[in-house]
Amino acid sequence: MKKLEGKIAVITGGSSGIGLATAKRFVEEGAQVVIFGRREKVLQEAAALIGRNVTTVVGDVSRLEDLDRLYATVKEKHSHIDILFANAGAGTVAPLAAATEAHFDQTFDVNVKGLFFTVQKALPIFKDGGSIILNSSVSNVMGLPAFSAYAASKAAVRSFSRSWTQELKDRKIRVNTMSPGAIETPALATTTGLTAEQAEQAVAQFAAQIPMGRRGKPEEIAAALTFLASDESSYVTGIDLAVDGGWAQV
Amino acid sequence: MNRLNGKTAVITGGATGIGRAAAKRFIDEGAFVFIFGRRQEALDAAVADLGPNVRAVKGSVSDEADLDRLYAAVKAERGALDVVFANAGAGSPLALGKITAEHIDETFDTNVKGTIFTVQKALPLMGKGGSIILTGSSAGTTGAPGMTAYSASKAAVRNLARTWAEDLKGTGIRVNVLSPGATATELAKAALGEEGQKVYAAMTPLQRMADPVEIGAAAAFLASSDSSFMTASEVAVDGGLAQL
Repeated sequence: MKKLEGKIAVITGGSSGIGLATAKRFVEEGAQVVIFGRREKVLQEAAALIGRNVTTVVGDVSRLEDLDRLYATVKEKHSHIDILFANAGAGTVAPLAAATEAHFDQTFDVNVKGLFFTVQKALPIFKDGGSIILNSSVSNVMGLPAFSAYAASKAAVRSFSRSWTQELKDRKIRVNTMSPGAIETPALATTTGLTAEQAEQAVAQFAAQIPMGRRGKPEEIAAALTFLASDESSYVTGIDLAVDGGWAQV
Repeated sequence: MNRLNGKTAVITGGATGIGRAAAKRFIDEGAFVFIFGRRQEALDAAVADLGPNVRAVKGSVSDEADLDRLYAAVKAERGALDVVFANAGAGSPLALGKITAEHIDETFDTNVKGTIFTVQKALPLMGKGGSIILTGSSAGTTGAPGMTAYSASKAAVRNLARTWAEDLKGTGIRVNVLSPGATATELAKAALGEEGQKVYAAMTPLQRMADPVEIGAAAAFLASSDSSFMTASEVAVDGGLAQL
């Protein structure tokens, strides 16, 4: 039995890594998926990989007019949303002593403001009883040297799920965060500003620190998200689901 | 959904309530389940309801000899074990000022010592891909008036998963905690009465108590490979009760 038969799901940051793996899994589980991302070419490649029941919208979560366009497309095509995975996020290396205002603003614009409005603007077409999942991070409870703005932004995301659980309870909309640990995605090597050598060192360090002794695969995050998206988690709201191989748990 | 096809599971406290709902769900997903409980009558009723892929063993988790018998039965019939749901637990209120040594011992014998030996004695039968699920409680996080012993015992259970994730490093066995909130088991409904159930529903963000089936669904997630990158985690299935 498929767990998301007939559901409409929106995934921001849906063209690579965790977002792409999740879009793929949701479609396999019977959902129609709309993926949102900044790079048109990468989105098209993702759509081709997913193969069916997928729509792409190009845009940036930190630009409110792009979000308006996203939801206008969703409304026109599907009329409502059952599942929202607010996944778009970014973090770059910047030690406290060297971080610029632009670094701070960029991190919070995407991870906090972008996510805030991703959810707010979905509400008019969000179905009562649906599921909202916010992508946080193990860094919401762990110190990450040289990534303090990122870690703090993810703690803000965890806080949102607490407030919004209460605000949306009358509509029976469940709101949870999912906190991945170190995952095998392209982001570490391509978007964080780490050199190839630093990225390699980080991977070795992660493996040593994580009780499971390895990084997670995007498909493993997608499997956990399927639980949170589906009726399998009908009594789960306001939680932070850590999918981290035990990294932040011990 | 047959995520547990061919798997063998043990569920303590498996004759009624959450354990029984999990047993039904595990069997629906293809597992062979041993339920363990203290009352023969309840075990017999569960077996009659659950069909051919269940076995019942009578015993108490606070008695090591009973646990030895449980795992001997698993070994004899199935040879190996994939999933342990250490779910047996007990708790009753006793306000600070009235707590007795017997009350503490009874609660910790079942919830903490019982959980430790349920898991320790299962390990020789388990291997890579194994999943251990411990029943915690929202009470392990919140302050619940009069629930000193129970709440502290469930906070202890939460820690067991953290420590064991380290102890089990390299074995491929995962261990997580499933923490229910107010759950409408037959026992809870009888203990709380109509009014008490309304109070718990009102306290919970989802404004209702859980159906045991919903806890069983989360247990199936933790038992299956859908949670393959999770260890030492706590999954609260509490309608938001202890989360805000």
